Amino acid sequence: MKVNVKGRFSFPGGIHPPEKKDLSREVEIQPGPAVKEVAVMLSQHIGAVCQPLNRKGDAVQAGQKIGDCDAFVSAPVHSPITGKVKEIALRSHAVLGRSSAIVIEAFSYSPTRRSYFKLKDDFDEKNYSAGQICEAVRQAGIVGMGGAGFPTRVKIEPNPQMPKETLIINGCECEPYITCDYRIMLEWTNQIIAGIKLARKASGCSQVFIAIEGNKPKAIEVMNRALESFANSDSIKVIPVKTKYPQGGERQLIKAILKKDVPTGGIPPMIGVVVLNVATAAAIAEAVISDLPLTHRVVTVTGEAVAKPGNYYVPIGTSVEDLIEFCGGVTKKSAKVLLGGPMMGIAIADLKTPITKATNAITVLTKEQIGRAKFARRQTACICCGRCLEVCPENLNPTKIAHAVKYNFLDVAESYYISACMECGCCSYVCPANIELTGYIKTGKIFLARQKKKIPG
Amino acid sequence: MLKDIRVSCSPHISERLSTRSVMIDVIIGLAPAMAAAGYYFRIHALILICTCVISSVAAEWLCNAIRKKPNSLDDFSAVVTGIILALSLPPNLPVWVAVIGSVFSIAIGKMVFGGLGANIFNPAMVGRTFLTASFGVLMTSWMVPVTIDSEIAKIDPDNKIKAVAEEGLVHARTRATPLAWSKQAIKSELGADLYSEEQFKATLTGEVGGSLGETSAIALLLGGLYLLIRRTINFHIPLAILVSAFIFGAIAYLIDSYSYVQPLYHLSSGGLLLCAFFIATDPVTAPLTRRGMWIFGIGVGMLTMLIRIVGEYPEGVMFSILLMNAVTPLIDRLCKRIPAGGKPSA
Repeated sequence: MKVNVKGRFSFPGGIHPPEKKDLSREVEIQPGPAVKEVAVMLSQHIGAVCQPLNRKGDAVQAGQKIGDCDAFVSAPVHSPITGKVKEIALRSHAVLGRSSAIVIEAFSYSPTRRSYFKLKDDFDEKNYSAGQICEAVRQAGIVGMGGAGFPTRVKIEPNPQMPKETLIINGCECEPYITCDYRIMLEWTNQIIAGIKLARKASGCSQVFIAIEGNKPKAIEVMNRALESFANSDSIKVIPVKTKYPQGGERQLIKAILKKDVPTGGIPPMIGVVVLNVATAAAIAEAVISDLPLTHRVVTVTGEAVAKPGNYYVPIGTSVEDLIEFCGGVTKKSAKVLLGGPMMGIAIADLKTPITKATNAITVLTKEQIGRAKFARRQTACICCGRCLEVCPENLNPTKIAHAVKYNFLDVAESYYISACMECGCCSYVCPANIELTGYIKTGKIFLARQKKKIPG
Repeated sequence: MLKDIRVSCSPHISERLSTRSVMIDVIIGLAPAMAAAGYYFRIHALILICTCVISSVAAEWLCNAIRKKPNSLDDFSAVVTGIILALSLPPNLPVWVAVIGSVFSIAIGKMVFGGLGANIFNPAMVGRTFLTASFGVLMTSWMVPVTIDSEIAKIDPDNKIKAVAEEGLVHARTRATPLAWSKQAIKSELGADLYSEEQFKATLTGEVGGSLGETSAIALLLGGLYLLIRRTINFHIPLAILVSAFIFGAIAYLIDSYSYVQPLYHLSSGGLLLCAFFIATDPVTAPLTRRGMWIFGIGVGMLTMLIRIVGEYPEGVMFSILLMNAVTPLIDRLCKRIPAGGKPSA
């Protein structure tokens, strides 16, 4: 039934994990649970942490800005619901451990699918100036919604030192299980294209590529059809790329499409490229045209242990527990709850962890999916088989780095370019000795940062 | 409902591979060679393989017990070492010699370095070198396959070469090992071209004298192909070894076709195929990077041919493997990978 499009564009290395997207790929985006309380993290993104604008007890409106920061690399946060600020307290954060959040008690919140942005026939990006778009993006608090959460305004704003030529829209979704971007592409097609045009206008890019993995033929078709019906979309092309993990990695995608390498430690604008996620493009359209801040997002709740896997449109700040319960809870004995997919997702211990703007999925894995050896964390000696070198998309030597970290030779780890690792997890995935190479490398990076006094011990 | 959930670093799934599955793959890859050995040397093959495997496993168990380390037998690496050692020994080697070789392989070749993954040299080759140095005569007394007429088999190559040649009875299969024959032939001024077409065919099927598992080129190729298809080994090392051995053999042959056998014969006979697919590809003792693998393979091929052509030994695989093992860490250091985005500027 499923005919894959053969995507020729690819990069060296990478792996082919089981896709597991069938669990939720045909489930339409549905409104999420009727939350009673949300906890909006003051740090949803890479960059400076926001300062709360309200006090305990204040009433806030849906869409009202509740946290902001003057720093350039930052983005404000908004209340997704109308309610009362219950407290400003610490909540579990997937990356930071504990971080302060504004907890808002809802007066009444009825879950809705936000009325899909209906594209006006007279939509024309020429009506908006580049500065206007950037400001709207900033005010709406838009950050990269694919996982990293980098403030979008910083990405799209023209920079005289690094002129941008190419805009790549990332619809790869290479991570197993996750389907939220796929559903967005099918259901919010026009909105995405409007967002792309606005981003193109703001960044001054002359060519746009929409990269979609070959295992999503329907999305490729829908996107192509929508592009045909739009005026002034000649420079926008849909590119089917090879189905392979981590195809959706920024650097890998650029390599696959443009055959260019982003300098190690550098960022895509250095070679004139901007990469935006499809969900981010959709959010840009909402922000600029309808003046709506980023307060909701689509989250895939999936995994073999979830009773009703699906894609849900939920307010940011909803707790993982609420979402899983809304999906019928878990049926089988589950072993791990992940924010994100199984390759790069973060296993959480606290189910009260709120989702952030960058949370694209909640995956509940069972012991079978994890595998016996990995579940037992049984690691054996490295036999130097070289599989990790073969799959490394950054052309590194994972086993050397990991073992240097293990025996605390951080200078050796640096000499093998530990900082160039993007932690995609391919090396750990293929390792027959089941060594947590990615884990060692992550640890090594933290040790190095401590050594250089970037983080307190 | 969600009790007892675990946390760990990503990724949370893995390819269902284990060291054991890799080793079992190698054992399956060695199966055709073992079968060929069983066919040509019958009970000798069975005894030798069983002896080596059992004593290797026992030695590893004993070493772990002495070092008070957890048992590591379940990774099957001792079995692989035992089989490879057995396949590289003369078929009629006394059992006690094989036991000494296996114990030396495991104890000195592997366990003293800290077990699997830490050894510098290929354990099986360490054991074989030890035996060659200690039991020179036993290690070079070859028997011919039992499928060959036993009367002819008794002809001793060293003394009967001239007689055989004079009688015009160049019955290739009676030679000790094909390579030893050509060396002897050169010395007795008969010329290496006595190495006939028939002889070449015999090296393909394995109906020649030689070590237990190295005689049948077809069986070894079959096993090697399996490992390549299963991606248990990379093609780089075998290809580099075979191509470089062929090139150096061809150079020697072109210079003096009287004294040296054709390059293709070099590939099909002796331990070269066993080495290229099963010994040199031992991941622990081979380089990690692609470029390193090429250098390693070319080095093995070149040294093997150097020893075979110039040296006193008819067979050079064992020494060339050990020599290249010794420089593997240096090769790895030389062939450092550069990140895809170039070296960081900072």
